[in-house]
Amino acid sequence: MKRGKHQEISAGKPRREAEPDARRLRKQAGDWLKQRRADAGLSQIDLATRLGLKYYTFISQVENGFSRVPTEAMAAWATELGLEPAVFAKHLLLYYEPELHRLLFGNKE
Amino acid sequence: MSVVAFERKRTAGFWDEAELDTIVAALSVALAPGRGREWETGMTENGDPQFYLLGPLPDQACELSVSRLGGRYILEDGSGRLLFEHRSLALVALHAKAAAARSAPWWLAAHVVLLWCTVRQIIHDKVEPWLAESEELLVELAPQLVMFA
Repeated sequence: MKRGKHQEISAGKPRREAEPDARRLRKQAGDWLKQRRADAGLSQIDLATRLGLKYYTFISQVENGFSRVPTEAMAAWATELGLEPAVFAKHLLLYYEPELHRLLFGNKE
Repeated sequence: MSVVAFERKRTAGFWDEAELDTIVAALSVALAPGRGREWETGMTENGDPQFYLLGPLPDQACELSVSRLGGRYILEDGSGRLLFEHRSLALVALHAKAAAARSAPWWLAAHVVLLWCTVRQIIHDKVEPWLAESEELLVELAPQLVMFA
């Protein structure tokens, strides 16, 4: 089994030169979400509590770029971050479904 | 004299080798070469370690995650659904193995085959003896029916 030098980013396979697009974009979405949460003055635990999650681990999973914000949770997630749900969803679509975002909104962002 | 083995309290930090070995061994089928799955580790902002089982390319989205919070292990799917939690990593790894098997494409096919075999067995055990009995009865009654005709 291969292990990284440190586990902050370690993987079961050697890291590729370039990450696949979907994964890179999900990581960018995670970074954006982390920044918005910081702007709202919330910790991962605070946000998880407000979203009614038992553990805060899923917030970390999303912010680390391994999962998406589920569609059904977008409105609540946006509200807790003090953002307009439509704006929040539109911005996440830019990362999660860039082609769909381009078709719907053009290349404005 | 016996010594009671107290559980070592784990604090936040990296996974240790034994923990990773337990999780990876449990997911060995899902991680087998040719399935296109990988695993990664990460950390929450509080320094609690997370293990992610990633799906195949191109999406490589998280299918399962195991996190360690204090002395407790949390198993979630890629949508944040809590699947299992326990202090025993071995038990959590076992549930991870079952959850990974459920997400495998052959899981449905395996269940269809299992269902088909069950139906065949029921037919063999229940219906066939009844049909044989009816056939015997018909053989006995047929000559008498012919006489009445």
